[in-house]
Amino acid sequence: MPRKKGDTLRKIKRYRGIYLMLAPIAAYFLVFSYYPLVLGIVNSFHKVKLLGGSQFVGLANYQEVAGSRLYRQALQNSLIVGVGTFLLQFLWGLMIAVFLNEVKRKTFKSLIQTVTYIPYLLSWTVVGGLWITIFSPTGMVNGILNKLGVQGATVFMAEPAFARPIMIFTGAWKGAGYFAALFLAAIVSLDNSLYESARIDGASRWQQIMKITIPQIIPTMKIVTVLSAMGVLRNFDQIFVMGNPSINDKVQNLLVLIYNDGILKFNVGTATAAATLVLVVTMLISFIVRKLLRYDEAYDGR
Amino acid sequence: MKKKKHLANELNVPQKIVMYLLLVFIVLIMAVPMWNVLVVATSSRLSASQSGIKLWWDSFSLDGFQYVFTVTKLLRPFLNSLFVTTVATVIQVILSSFAGYVLIQKDLPFKGAITSFVMLTMMIPGDLTLISVYQLNKQLSLLNSYTGLIMNGLISGFSILLMRNFFETVPYSLAEAARIDGAGEVHIFRTIYLPISLPGLATVFFMEYVSKWNSIMLPATLVTEQNLYTLPLMLKAMILTDASTSGTSFAPDNAVMAAIIISTVPLLLIYIFAQQYLLEGMNLGAEKG
Repeated sequence: MPRKKGDTLRKIKRYRGIYLMLAPIAAYFLVFSYYPLVLGIVNSFHKVKLLGGSQFVGLANYQEVAGSRLYRQALQNSLIVGVGTFLLQFLWGLMIAVFLNEVKRKTFKSLIQTVTYIPYLLSWTVVGGLWITIFSPTGMVNGILNKLGVQGATVFMAEPAFARPIMIFTGAWKGAGYFAALFLAAIVSLDNSLYESARIDGASRWQQIMKITIPQIIPTMKIVTVLSAMGVLRNFDQIFVMGNPSINDKVQNLLVLIYNDGILKFNVGTATAAATLVLVVTMLISFIVRKLLRYDEAYDGR
Repeated sequence: MKKKKHLANELNVPQKIVMYLLLVFIVLIMAVPMWNVLVVATSSRLSASQSGIKLWWDSFSLDGFQYVFTVTKLLRPFLNSLFVTTVATVIQVILSSFAGYVLIQKDLPFKGAITSFVMLTMMIPGDLTLISVYQLNKQLSLLNSYTGLIMNGLISGFSILLMRNFFETVPYSLAEAARIDGAGEVHIFRTIYLPISLPGLATVFFMEYVSKWNSIMLPATLVTEQNLYTLPLMLKAMILTDASTSGTSFAPDNAVMAAIIISTVPLLLIYIFAQQYLLEGMNLGAEKG
């Protein structure tokens, strides 16, 4: 035993350069990641006063959040817009990937991939500003409707009935190219001999797509789904940019509400309690999705 | 050797027609709005404010660009974004490569604990600790400062793991050989790992540059003074008028679109230079573990 201890010490000494390399990162994470987490959890059990000082209130903040109509509405909005966006984006990205794989001309292929990927690079202020303008009374959508004989102009961004579909559509519009890139990378790396033998068996190209391409990239689909599940309640930018008072009831989501509550109104207690709840619910959703997809089993078996 | 018998390597003609129609439809949905931005941005104020489908110029004009630089004063936010993003990304790449190198050491004592320490930060979403991040920055007097904009979200567990994955593709025996020759760790890192991992460094640089350039939530939390506004904040201030609800806008449409183009160009340049790295890096990032 003592010998082993000496070994470890010697190793630590040998690796002191390595530990030194780690020091700034460790310090950073302690201050900017772990400390806020702990502070947030502590604050969620306190009533923080504006002039400083705070008072332990137990679960009162959590009760307030759970009983708040605003927060419950925000949870519902987050889930509907989040899941809707994911489904549309998934389908849209998959279509791009499968179709692109059938395109033989290389320049054409990379042009399409670039065009579909660019929206993913843009910030939500750009994408939001773009679509707000397109949906505005003088924008392109109204222009098309007028050409089709519809009289007058619809103020789409102020219409609660259109609010969620618009958020889902623009969300998927922004992210579809990213999913497509992930799917396409998986498709391209598939073993060619699979197609080879299917061809010899007389399978048509369409059958090959349905029976080989799609089933073979299920592992990638699972990764994409699990990663998206962790982000489903954490969409801030889009609603922060595109939300407005006329449609907030339909689209204001948890993070925007927490921001308004905590940063603008300074209700630190309820905002941190809500954030902690979102963290717990996110982990729960992620756990359920992993179980439903048998995600971990699939990878342990490899 | 070509076989005469036709083996199905392609879709049949009707299927192809349907597929191309759908593909063209998808590409149009994605490209037309972006084209519209370009046309409106370079149209005169009057033609930009008229209703209709604007896919070609009625009257070409650079009024919009002039407006954003003279009236909206977009130059300051643009330079702010450029400065903060560049400095933060450079620091991040350096520190992430350090940490990535630490994580590939074969028999480093406490390596498991260190790996968990880094991985766990990925489970702590920055957006959910926002309120505490605000308080922390208040305590450190980092609100309304460039240092605050650079420091927050500086390092991510994700980029560290990405660097680790790249370093793992370097044969460990190379480092062992150098070690036997008596080379120090920093020397091995600099002369063996960094040169081989340049594509990895590029990937992390570009991915993090994009995400920092686009970041809204942190600047919106940390900055209230207008001369520290980053581009996304300024852009939001420009579009968050009642434009969407009443049709009267404080900044004309061509100016908003010009601002959109200005904040997009750096990212497009990056994408053109880094296209293959970005895709490769994404796939490494999407790999489990």
